[in-house]
Amino acid sequence: MYFNKALDKLLKKIEKPARYIGGEINSVQKDASAVDVRFGFAFPDTYEIGMSYLGLQILYTILNKQDAVFCERIFAPAPDMEALMRTEGLSLFTLETKMPIKELDIIGFTLQYELSYTNILNMLDLGNIPLLSKDRDETCPLIIAGGPCAYNPEPLSDIFDLFLIGDGEEILPEICREFASWKASGEEKDAFLKKVCNITGVYVPKFYEPIYQDDGIIIDIQKLYDGAPDTIERCLIANINDLDFPENNIVPFIETVHDRAVVETFRGCTRGCRFCQAGMIYRPVRERTPERIRLLAENQLKNTGHDELSLLSLSTSDYSGFEPLVMELMTMCRENNVSLSLPSLRLDSFSFKVLEEIQGYKKSGLTFAPEAGSQRLRDVINKCITEKNIYSAIEQALELGWNNIKLYFMIGLPTETYEDLDGIVSIVKNIKELNYKVNGTRGGRFNVTISISNFVPKAHTPYQWSAQDTPESFHNKHNYLRDKLRTKGITFNYHGTDSSSLEAVFARGDRRVTPGLIRAFELGCKFDGWSEHFKRDLWKTAFEETGIDPQFYSNRERNLDEILPWDHIDCLVRKEFLKQENEKSMTAQTTEDCRNGCVDCGINRRIKCGSEASYE
Amino acid sequence: MSRYATEFTKEGYIKYISHLDMMRLFKRAFKKADISLKHSQGYNPHPKIGVAQPLSLGYLSTGEILEFETVESIPTNLIKHKLAEQMPSGIKILNCNLLPETGKTLAALADAAEYKIMIPENKLSTAALDKIVTRFLGQDQIPVKKIQRKSGKETEINIKPMIRKLETTTIDNNIIMTTLLDSGSKSNLSPELLLTAFLTFSSIACNREDMEVMRTKIYFSKN
Repeated sequence: MYFNKALDKLLKKIEKPARYIGGEINSVQKDASAVDVRFGFAFPDTYEIGMSYLGLQILYTILNKQDAVFCERIFAPAPDMEALMRTEGLSLFTLETKMPIKELDIIGFTLQYELSYTNILNMLDLGNIPLLSKDRDETCPLIIAGGPCAYNPEPLSDIFDLFLIGDGEEILPEICREFASWKASGEEKDAFLKKVCNITGVYVPKFYEPIYQDDGIIIDIQKLYDGAPDTIERCLIANINDLDFPENNIVPFIETVHDRAVVETFRGCTRGCRFCQAGMIYRPVRERTPERIRLLAENQLKNTGHDELSLLSLSTSDYSGFEPLVMELMTMCRENNVSLSLPSLRLDSFSFKVLEEIQGYKKSGLTFAPEAGSQRLRDVINKCITEKNIYSAIEQALELGWNNIKLYFMIGLPTETYEDLDGIVSIVKNIKELNYKVNGTRGGRFNVTISISNFVPKAHTPYQWSAQDTPESFHNKHNYLRDKLRTKGITFNYHGTDSSSLEAVFARGDRRVTPGLIRAFELGCKFDGWSEHFKRDLWKTAFEETGIDPQFYSNRERNLDEILPWDHIDCLVRKEFLKQENEKSMTAQTTEDCRNGCVDCGINRRIKCGSEASYE
Repeated sequence: MSRYATEFTKEGYIKYISHLDMMRLFKRAFKKADISLKHSQGYNPHPKIGVAQPLSLGYLSTGEILEFETVESIPTNLIKHKLAEQMPSGIKILNCNLLPETGKTLAALADAAEYKIMIPENKLSTAALDKIVTRFLGQDQIPVKKIQRKSGKETEINIKPMIRKLETTTIDNNIIMTTLLDSGSKSNLSPELLLTAFLTFSSIACNREDMEVMRTKIYFSKN
C-alpha cells in the first residue's frame, strides 16, 4: 500500500479524512510501472458527490479493464484540506496511489455542471499544472474533458487539450490506445492531436477559431488546421446493452449522496421537453434488456453488499418493459433484504401499487414536476402533463396515506407572465383543498413543498437562442410567489438568482468568457454550486476586470440565424428541428412524444431509432 | 441462533474510517459473505452487531472486537475465513470465537483498554523520561480540562484514578508510551486527555498530528 507520511499528517487535522484515503472495496490497484497509460478520472467536486456519479463507476470499470491502462480517481479537496495542502506544499494526488496528478499521462475531467468550472482550475493549480493548454509542454499530462457540458466546450476551450463529445465507453479507451502509441513514437503533442481530431466525437479546440463582429456576435468559425473536421460529430453508441457496465462498483467507506447499487436502464428520452438538454443530446432511446438489467443488479448487490438498488434513466417509467421488470426486481430485492428506489416515476396506478409495496409504512414523500403553473406554459415547454393528471395522482396518494408532497417548478421560462405564476399558486391551493376533501377539514399532518428553480437556457435545445430572465426579474418573481404562498403547511424553496445567472453565462458562453473564469478563480471563487461558497461579489469583480458583460451571454435574445459558439459541435439533432421547436413553442403548440411517431429531429440519419418493436 | 466475537486490526489509512462507517462496512461484509445476521424486532429492525468499544477516528488498533449474532450457527473458522475475504486493506480478521448465547454484551462488559502511543521526541534519555513519568504519576491529582459533550462547558477533572498503568520506553528517538486506561460504561478515559495532561506536565513540545495512538487490547470485567 502506498502510505504517504506528509499526507497522513494533514489527514489528522481535517474533517472527513476518509475522503482522501482510497482503498475502498472494489477500488483498483495495478502495477503502475507495467501500464502504458496512467489515467486520472477527475471529478471537480468533493468525494461524496463524485462517488455518487454513475459515469465515474462506468468509465473506471471500462478503463481498468484494459491491461495497458490504470485509471485512478481525483476529486476536489474540501476547503479545509485545500488550505493545508497549499501551506504544506502537497500536490493534488490520486486516491489509488497518492501520486501527484502531474505524473499522470492523461487527466480526464467530467463536466456535469457549469458551476464546477472554477474547481477544475483549482484542481489543476493544486496539481502544479498550468491552466492554459498553450502553457503546457510535453511533460504535462494531456488534459481532456467530457460530459454534458462538453456540448458547449467553448468557455473551457483554452484550458483543455481536447474534448470528447458523446458516449464515452468506446472513445475513451480508443484515446488511451492512441496516446500509448503516440507516447512510444516520441513525436510532439501536436502530432497526437492532429491524429485523434478525426476520431468521431473528438474536438481539439486549438484547431478552430471563432471570428467576432464588432457587436460581439460570431460571424465565422474558422479552421486553423485543414486536416480537422468541419463539424465535430457526437460519438453515439447504438447498442448500449453490450457495453461493459459496473458489476464491482467501488463501495465508499463514508456515506455519499447516493450509496447504492444502480443500473442504467436506458439512455435518451422521447418526450421532447423543450428546456431539457439531456432530452436532446442523449437521443435516441437505447435500452438495456431486462435480462441484462437483472443480471447487473444481481451482480452489483452480490459484489458490493449494498442494501439499496436504484434504476437510472431520464424517465424511469418509460422503459418499454417497465412493469414486468419492476415486478421481478421487487421480488429479488425482497428476497435479499434490499430496498428498491425508483426515481422520477410517472404516477399511474401501477406506480402506486409499486410504491405501496416498496415504501410500505415508511412513505417518504411524493415528488411531481409540473415545471410550469399553467397549461399554456406547459404546452410552451412541451411538458405534457395536465392538471387533471396531477390532481388525480395526488388524490390517490392522499388516500393511500402520503402526507408529504413535493412540487418542482421552473420560473423564467420563455413567454412566462405573472398569470403563469398565479397558476403555481392555484395548484398548491388546490392540492391543499384535495387534502381537506380526503382527510377531513382539519387535514391532518400535511405538507406541500414547492421548489422553484430558475430557468437556464442551454446549448442544443430549442431555447438555445432565448434570453434568460434578469436577476431582478427572478428576484421579483420569487418575492411574488413567496408572498402568495405564505401559508401553514407550505414550504417554499427557491434557487439563488446569482448562481443561476452565472450558470447561464457559461452554458452559452464563448471563448471570450475564459479570462473571467480564470480571474474569478484567482480571486478565490470555487465550489460555486454550493450556496455557502458562492461569492457573488468576486464574480462581479472578475467580469469587470476582464471586460466581460455577462448579460451578453445570459440575457440576450439571439437571432435564429446567428452563428452560435457551439455550432461546429453536432449533437446529431438537426438545428432546423430546434428552430421549429422554438417557433412552435412561442405559439404554445406541442410536439408529441416521439414514440408515438417520428418528429424528424434528425437523429435517425445516423441510427435506427428505438426498437419500434418494443413500443406498442 | 449463535453469538460470536471476532477480533480484528485497523492499520494504515483505514484508521481514518469512523466508528459508524466501520459498522456499515461490517454489515455489508456480512451480506456479501452470505452470513445472515439476526435482526432486532420492531418497526425498524437492525442487525445485531456491535463493537466492544468504539475506536476514535485516526487511531490504529491491533485488537478491535466485534460482537454479532447470526441466524444460523456457523463454524467459527468459516466465519473468520469468509469475513477476511471481504475486508479492505488494513483490516485483518485475527480470530472468531463463540460467545455464550445469553449474557451481557461485550460493550457492557468492557472495562479497560491498553494503548501504545508514539511521540516523536529525541532530546530525552530513557532515564530522564522515567523520572518524568514517576513524578507525573506521583502527583496527588492529575487535573485536566475537559469539554463536556452535552453542555460544551469546560470542566476540570482528575484523571489519576483512571490510569491503571503507564510505562515509557524510547525506540529510534521516539517515546513509546504503553498505558492501561479505564475504558467502559462506568469509567472511561480517552487517551487524548492523558496525552494533554502528560505533555503539559512534561513540557514536551510535539504536535498532535505527529503522534500516533494504537489500541492494543480491550479488557473485560468478569461478571
